[in-house]
Amino acid sequence: MIPAKKIVLAEDNSILSLLLKFKLEKEGYKILVAENGKRAIELIEENNPELILTDVMMPFVSGLEVISHVRNKLNLLIPIIVFSSAGQEEMVLTAFNLGATDFMSKPFSPNELIIRIKRLLN
Amino acid sequence: MNTENILLDLIQYLFFIFSATAIVSYIILAIISVIETKAYMKKNSLVNYSEILASSNSPSISIIAPAYNESLNIIENVRSLLSNHYVNYDVIIVNDGSKDDSLEKLIKAYDLVKVDYLINPAIKTKPLRAGVFKSTNPAFGKLIIVDKENGGKADALNMGLNISPNKYVACIDVDCLLIEDALQKLIKPFLEATDYKVIAAGGVIRIANSCIIKDGKLLDVNLPKNLLVKGQILEYLRAFLLGRMAWSRLNGLLVISGAFGLFDKKIAMKVGGYDTKTVGEDMEIIVRMRKFMEEKNEKYKVAYIPDPLCWTEAPDNYKTFLSQRNRWTRGTIETLKKHRKIGLNPKYRSLGIISFPYWFIFERLAPIIEVIGIIYFMFLLVIKAIRWDYAIIFLVVAYLFTVTFSIVTIITEELTYHQYKKKGMGFELVKIAFLEPFICHPFILYAAIKGNFDYYFNKNIKWGVMTKKGMSN
Amino acid sequence: MEDFYHIIVNLFFNAPVFIKITVLLIIGFILAITVLIIYLKHIRRRLRNKERIQATYRKKYESELISYLYSGDGDGKINSEQQGIINYLKKCSHNPLKRKILVSTLLKLRNEISGEVADAIQNLYYQIGLENHAAKKLKNKKWNKIAKGILELTQFEIKEVHDEIILHINHPRGEVRKEVQMYLVKIFYFDGLEFLNVIEHYLSEWDQIQLIETLQKFENQQIPDINPWLKSTNDSVVLFAIKLAKIYNQSESKDILLGLLDHDNILVRVNTIDVLNNLYVTEAVPILKENFSKLSIEEQIAFFSMLENIHHNNDIKFIFENINNKNFEIKVSANNIMKALNIEKLNAVMIEAFESETSESSDFITIAS
Repeated sequence: MIPAKKIVLAEDNSILSLLLKFKLEKEGYKILVAENGKRAIELIEENNPELILTDVMMPFVSGLEVISHVRNKLNLLIPIIVFSSAGQEEMVLTAFNLGATDFMSKPFSPNELIIRIKRLLN
Repeated sequence: MNTENILLDLIQYLFFIFSATAIVSYIILAIISVIETKAYMKKNSLVNYSEILASSNSPSISIIAPAYNESLNIIENVRSLLSNHYVNYDVIIVNDGSKDDSLEKLIKAYDLVKVDYLINPAIKTKPLRAGVFKSTNPAFGKLIIVDKENGGKADALNMGLNISPNKYVACIDVDCLLIEDALQKLIKPFLEATDYKVIAAGGVIRIANSCIIKDGKLLDVNLPKNLLVKGQILEYLRAFLLGRMAWSRLNGLLVISGAFGLFDKKIAMKVGGYDTKTVGEDMEIIVRMRKFMEEKNEKYKVAYIPDPLCWTEAPDNYKTFLSQRNRWTRGTIETLKKHRKIGLNPKYRSLGIISFPYWFIFERLAPIIEVIGIIYFMFLLVIKAIRWDYAIIFLVVAYLFTVTFSIVTIITEELTYHQYKKKGMGFELVKIAFLEPFICHPFILYAAIKGNFDYYFNKNIKWGVMTKKGMSN
Repeated sequence: MEDFYHIIVNLFFNAPVFIKITVLLIIGFILAITVLIIYLKHIRRRLRNKERIQATYRKKYESELISYLYSGDGDGKINSEQQGIINYLKKCSHNPLKRKILVSTLLKLRNEISGEVADAIQNLYYQIGLENHAAKKLKNKKWNKIAKGILELTQFEIKEVHDEIILHINHPRGEVRKEVQMYLVKIFYFDGLEFLNVIEHYLSEWDQIQLIETLQKFENQQIPDINPWLKSTNDSVVLFAIKLAKIYNQSESKDILLGLLDHDNILVRVNTIDVLNNLYVTEAVPILKENFSKLSIEEQIAFFSMLENIHHNNDIKFIFENINNKNFEIKVSANNIMKALNIEKLNAVMIEAFESETSESSDFITIAS
């Protein structure tokens, strides 16, 4: 029995995170949800996930700081996908500079997200 | 009936009339303010600020922030200003001849290099010192640092006006924390106006002591333990919630807070920019801009929006507090004196007939009248002509009115922005309503009198002292 | 005790009028303060409860929505479990507060995702009958209710109510008109701009910017003919059309735009110069140069911005004459142009230009190298 791959999801939109959690768990992944960057970092440090999904804009600690922490402080190479809203192109560029692997701009299709996750984890 | 008694009675009646008029005016202004604020909230409940004006089609704004010896916090403050959600804006920091290492710190933190910059000489200012700097890092493309010889806040703002390439300028205190959509909200009145011109706009300044604000997001609102600061919170609530909105409606607003205001750059420059010879430059430029528009006979407005846009640190010790209020007093006196031709002049319509006289009597003269009242009271005490029952009852009525008004303010805040949500805060605010007349008012009175004294007899005093504490506490 | 009471009452009634009034005032104030404090406590409690209730409903509706989306059989038909949820939500939607939270929950998710899930949410919106409530608001007398209704119908892209919404196109309140305009543009894209032919009021800058923002989001950027709008009697429509000309590179409208250089409204004239600059309409240069002294200062500044972009050799003398213009912006523009020109070429050109001052040619003069 291969243990389920763990994904940390940092998203402050509660219903979006519920939806994604549901969908991804159906696909067999284990999802850990954080409503802000600070909590996300805690979850990452405690659980050592295989993939990180993070929104770029979040209160307290932003998605960018999460990426920076993961790449520079924790030195992890796990794939990171960022979500962005319209008008945040600059932030997406910064995210890539910091080490993000992929991005999806909102509104996005959850099915598309799953395809990309599967591709990155295999 | 001897003349002595008649005289004493007359003086008493005058005080009575003054107080009654003041009270009635506060009540009228409060009612108008509440109605206007409710109307504004209704109107803006439909607006989604985050959707719009992340637009590249929105007009360009320059944020001008003068800085003097701000080394302790300058890096953080600049970072905060750069993180605003508006798209088309630049940040002009004017280092006004600081004697500390502000410039070195900035150059290091933001990869700055000196650039050649052609500066509009329209307004005379003190010359450049180290020059104009921009960043080599595209992430900080919005930043322009200007290092010049010391000339004071007004002079630094004028340099900013000369440098800004944009149509609108936001003049701000460098340590003021802007809410992420502050610029969107404040430019809206300019863009919505169809048959009149908006020349300046301001919003609500809230007190940030003990609050947590990060990257333009208000994360946690707390009431500080310091009584003086709590008193100021109440005072600001009263002034902004129950005063300014009414004046804006009557198009009689004489001041936009120097902590944060948005201006039409062309008009600000046409009137010659800020006056460097006054300490009340924020009020003075508004009066001058209004005078200009009245003389041009064009329809215009000084807009005010009741949304909290900017959070700033209030003095938490009496020394700084007195210095600040002293400066405000002198600023008011200077401005009113400089533009006294407007007073009661029908050529200036509501500006001259309503705003100016009201400000003159109830803002500028009020502390003096109050002190004369106290002296008069002492005098009666000495000649044993005092009617104790009159005196005590009058004081009690005045006190109770103030408390009632403060509580109405707190209720209005609950019904509008409701920012002090935590349990127990309502009670704290009510407590302050009862205490404020004792812990704040006497000091404000003292500062006002000293301000008058300093204005007439002590020409050397200028801006005074403000020791900065870190905002991240 | 009774004596004490009598003493006080006597004191009061024997006191002069002034004391009577002020004592009554004091009692009045104390009563008012007590009432107000109680009211304040009541409000705070009520607001706190409201927030708690809203949070509860929000959570409930979020989980109901997720259940609805994932109990589907995958065949597009609604099964019994889903029908149960629909019935439950339908009942809730009769309460205005619950309805508001329900709508905002649906939107909260719909704004973030696209694809089948978004369609499912849209379908649910219909099933619950929410669009009826929104459409009802259109008939309300109060302007803010009408505007809110239109906003919701826009957010859920309900095409069917078009005819009822268009009735409000010239509503006296600007907020309503704005919602109508946004509806038309969001749902009908460029075709929605037909309202420009009928609006009577001035379209504010704020509205114009938002319309453009919305238009630019569409993939199909097929812009209709803007010429009728450029000739509109409503100056704000003209200004808006000029913006469209700029963003969508409408060089076909060149001639009408040149005509606008004589428009009554100075704002139109200045914006026209700006768009002609963007569209690289060289014919504009000699026209403006000819009339330069009669232009207002804003037009002159805009013209020099144009010259920075478009200039021919026979313009150089004119530019040179303005390198010390009183106006700062013009001076900077003129100096920038001169700087951009190569010094050698400059000298040669200057000589040629001065020599051929009397000549007819207004086009290219060959440079003696």
